[in-house]
Amino acid sequence: MEAVLWYVLTGTRGGENRVRILRTIEEQPRNANQLAESLDLDYKTVRHHLDVLMDNDVVQRSGDDYGAVYLPSPRCRANWETVETIIERID
Amino acid sequence: MSIWVDVARASAALNVVVLFVLSAIWARNYLTFRSKHAIGLLVFGVFLLAENALALYMYIVDPTLSGWFATDVPVIAWRLMMLLHVFETVGLAFLAWITID
Repeated sequence: MEAVLWYVLTGTRGGENRVRILRTIEEQPRNANQLAESLDLDYKTVRHHLDVLMDNDVVQRSGDDYGAVYLPSPRCRANWETVETIIERID
Repeated sequence: MSIWVDVARASAALNVVVLFVLSAIWARNYLTFRSKHAIGLLVFGVFLLAENALALYMYIVDPTLSGWFATDVPVIAWRLMMLLHVFETVGLAFLAWITID
Protein backbone atom coordinates (compact mmCIF):
# COMPACT_ATOMS: atom_id res chain seq x y z
CA MET A 1 0.00 0.00 0.00
CA GLU A 2 2.87 2.37 0.73
CA ALA A 3 4.19 2.02 -2.81
CA VAL A 4 0.69 2.61 -4.18
CA LEU A 5 0.39 5.80 -2.16
CA TRP A 6 3.79 7.08 -3.26
CA TYR A 7 3.01 6.34 -6.89
CA VAL A 8 -0.57 7.60 -7.04
CA LEU A 9 0.20 10.72 -5.00
CA THR A 10 3.71 11.70 -6.14
CA GLY A 11 4.28 9.92 -9.46
CA THR A 12 1.38 11.14 -11.54
CA ARG A 13 0.31 14.40 -13.09
CA GLY A 14 -2.72 14.77 -10.79
CA GLY A 15 -0.81 13.79 -7.65
CA GLU A 16 -0.92 17.15 -5.94
CA ASN A 17 -4.70 17.47 -6.29
CA ARG A 18 -5.15 13.89 -5.10
CA VAL A 19 -3.22 14.77 -1.95
CA ARG A 20 -5.45 17.80 -1.40
CA ILE A 21 -8.56 15.66 -1.83
CA LEU A 22 -7.27 13.05 0.60
CA ARG A 23 -6.39 15.68 3.19
CA THR A 24 -9.84 17.23 2.89
CA ILE A 25 -11.85 14.01 3.22
CA GLU A 26 -9.72 12.90 6.15
CA GLU A 27 -10.92 15.97 8.04
CA GLN A 28 -14.47 15.17 7.11
CA PRO A 29 -16.03 12.88 4.49
CA ARG A 30 -17.48 14.84 1.58
CA ASN A 31 -19.15 14.25 -1.73
CA ALA A 32 -17.63 15.17 -5.06
CA ASN A 33 -19.57 18.39 -5.29
CA GLN A 34 -18.42 19.66 -1.91
CA LEU A 35 -14.86 18.69 -2.74
CA ALA A 36 -14.97 20.59 -6.01
CA GLU A 37 -16.17 23.65 -4.16
CA SER A 38 -13.79 23.59 -1.23
CA LEU A 39 -10.75 22.85 -3.41
CA ASP A 40 -11.82 25.14 -6.23
CA LEU A 41 -11.52 22.33 -8.79
CA ASP A 42 -13.70 21.29 -11.69
CA TYR A 43 -16.36 18.75 -10.67
CA LYS A 44 -15.27 16.35 -13.41
CA THR A 45 -11.65 16.60 -12.32
CA VAL A 46 -12.63 15.70 -8.78
CA ARG A 47 -14.71 12.76 -9.97
CA HIS A 48 -11.82 11.52 -12.07
CA HIS A 49 -9.35 11.72 -9.16
CA LEU A 50 -11.82 9.99 -6.85
CA ASP A 51 -12.22 7.18 -9.39
CA VAL A 52 -8.46 6.69 -9.57
CA LEU A 53 -8.19 6.77 -5.78
CA MET A 54 -11.03 4.22 -5.48
CA ASP A 55 -9.42 2.03 -8.14
CA ASN A 56 -6.34 1.87 -5.95
CA ASP A 57 -8.30 1.37 -2.73
CA VAL A 58 -7.09 4.66 -1.28
CA VAL A 59 -10.57 6.03 -0.72
CA GLN A 60 -13.95 4.40 -0.36
CA ARG A 61 -17.48 5.55 -1.02
CA SER A 62 -20.25 5.54 1.48
CA GLY A 63 -23.88 5.97 0.54
CA ASP A 64 -25.77 5.87 -2.72
CA ASP A 65 -24.53 6.94 -6.11
CA TYR A 66 -25.88 10.43 -5.98
CA GLY A 67 -24.33 12.54 -3.27
CA ALA A 68 -22.29 9.66 -1.89
CA VAL A 69 -19.54 10.81 0.43
CA TYR A 70 -15.94 9.69 0.12
CA LEU A 71 -13.59 8.82 2.96
CA PRO A 72 -10.13 7.28 3.29
CA SER A 73 -10.20 3.47 3.01
CA PRO A 74 -9.12 1.29 5.95
CA ARG A 75 -5.93 0.40 4.08
CA CYS A 76 -5.20 4.07 3.57
CA ARG A 77 -5.81 4.82 7.25
CA ALA A 78 -3.49 1.97 8.22
CA ASN A 79 -0.78 3.78 6.25
CA TRP A 80 -1.75 7.30 7.18
CA GLU A 81 1.84 8.07 8.29
CA THR A 82 2.93 7.79 4.68
CA VAL A 83 0.15 10.14 3.59
CA GLU A 84 1.20 12.62 6.26
CA THR A 85 4.80 12.51 5.10
CA ILE A 86 3.61 13.29 1.58
CA ILE A 87 1.27 16.07 2.75
CA GLU A 88 4.11 17.74 4.67
CA ARG A 89 6.17 17.99 1.52
CA ILE A 90 3.61 20.11 -0.27
CA ASP A 91 3.46 22.82 2.37
CA MET B 1 15.68 1.02 -47.86
CA SER B 2 12.72 -0.75 -46.37
CA ILE B 3 9.80 0.29 -44.24
CA TRP B 4 11.57 -1.08 -41.13
CA VAL B 5 13.96 1.84 -41.16
CA ASP B 6 11.16 4.37 -41.20
CA VAL B 7 9.22 2.60 -38.47
CA ALA B 8 12.33 2.41 -36.27
CA ARG B 9 13.05 6.09 -36.77
CA ALA B 10 9.43 7.12 -36.21
CA SER B 11 9.03 5.13 -33.02
CA ALA B 12 12.36 6.39 -31.66
CA ALA B 13 11.13 9.94 -32.34
CA LEU B 14 7.80 9.17 -30.65
CA ASN B 15 9.67 7.73 -27.66
CA VAL B 16 11.64 10.96 -27.34
CA VAL B 17 8.42 13.01 -27.26
CA VAL B 18 6.64 10.76 -24.76
CA LEU B 19 9.69 10.55 -22.50
CA PHE B 20 10.07 14.30 -22.58
CA VAL B 21 6.47 14.76 -21.40
CA LEU B 22 6.79 12.07 -18.71
CA SER B 23 10.12 13.44 -17.46
CA ALA B 24 8.61 16.92 -17.24
CA ILE B 25 5.75 15.58 -15.07
CA TRP B 26 8.15 13.64 -12.84
CA ALA B 27 10.53 16.61 -12.56
CA ARG B 28 7.68 18.89 -11.52
CA ASN B 29 6.51 16.33 -8.96
CA TYR B 30 10.04 15.96 -7.65
CA LEU B 31 10.20 19.70 -7.09
CA THR B 32 6.87 19.52 -5.23
CA PHE B 33 7.36 16.39 -3.16
CA ARG B 34 11.13 15.79 -3.07
CA SER B 35 10.30 12.09 -2.95
CA LYS B 36 12.70 9.36 -3.96
CA HIS B 37 9.84 7.87 -5.92
CA ALA B 38 9.59 10.91 -8.17
CA ILE B 39 13.37 11.24 -8.58
CA GLY B 40 13.61 7.53 -9.40
CA LEU B 41 11.07 7.89 -12.18
CA LEU B 42 12.83 11.03 -13.39
CA VAL B 43 16.23 9.31 -13.59
CA PHE B 44 14.66 6.45 -15.53
CA GLY B 45 12.92 8.89 -17.88
CA VAL B 46 15.99 10.99 -18.53
CA PHE B 47 18.26 8.04 -19.34
CA LEU B 48 15.73 6.40 -21.62
CA LEU B 49 15.26 9.78 -23.27
CA ALA B 50 19.02 10.01 -23.79
CA GLU B 51 19.07 6.53 -25.29
CA ASN B 52 16.35 7.32 -27.80
CA ALA B 53 17.79 10.72 -28.66
CA LEU B 54 21.16 9.07 -29.29
CA ALA B 55 19.52 6.46 -31.54
CA LEU B 56 17.80 9.21 -33.54
CA TYR B 57 21.09 11.07 -33.81
CA MET B 58 22.80 7.96 -35.19
CA TYR B 59 19.96 7.15 -37.59
CA ILE B 60 19.37 10.62 -38.99
CA VAL B 61 21.84 13.35 -38.01
CA ASP B 62 25.38 12.09 -37.70
CA PRO B 63 27.04 12.47 -41.12
CA THR B 64 28.97 9.21 -41.04
CA LEU B 65 26.69 6.96 -39.02
CA SER B 66 23.42 8.02 -40.66
CA GLY B 67 24.83 7.20 -44.09
CA TRP B 68 26.04 3.86 -42.84
CA PHE B 69 22.73 3.01 -41.15
CA ALA B 70 20.82 4.07 -44.28
CA THR B 71 22.83 1.99 -46.76
CA ASP B 72 24.98 -0.70 -45.19
CA VAL B 73 22.85 -2.15 -42.40
CA PRO B 74 21.08 -5.36 -43.50
CA VAL B 75 17.30 -5.57 -43.36
CA ILE B 76 17.29 -8.23 -40.65
CA ALA B 77 19.17 -5.89 -38.31
CA TRP B 78 16.73 -3.07 -39.02
CA ARG B 79 13.78 -5.36 -38.34
CA LEU B 80 15.14 -6.24 -34.94
CA MET B 81 16.00 -2.65 -34.11
CA MET B 82 12.54 -1.61 -35.18
CA LEU B 83 11.12 -4.23 -32.81
CA LEU B 84 13.17 -2.84 -29.92
CA HIS B 85 11.91 0.68 -30.52
CA VAL B 86 8.31 -0.39 -31.05
CA PHE B 87 8.28 -2.51 -27.88
CA GLU B 88 9.57 0.54 -26.07
CA THR B 89 6.88 2.74 -27.61
CA VAL B 90 4.13 0.38 -26.49
CA GLY B 91 5.55 0.20 -22.97
CA LEU B 92 5.90 3.96 -22.78
CA ALA B 93 2.39 4.53 -24.10
CA PHE B 94 1.10 2.42 -21.25
CA LEU B 95 3.24 4.26 -18.72
CA ALA B 96 2.06 7.59 -20.12
CA TRP B 97 -1.55 6.45 -19.80
CA ILE B 98 -1.22 5.77 -16.07
CA THR B 99 1.02 8.76 -15.36
CA ILE B 100 -1.01 11.42 -17.14
CA ASP B 101 -4.26 9.93 -15.87
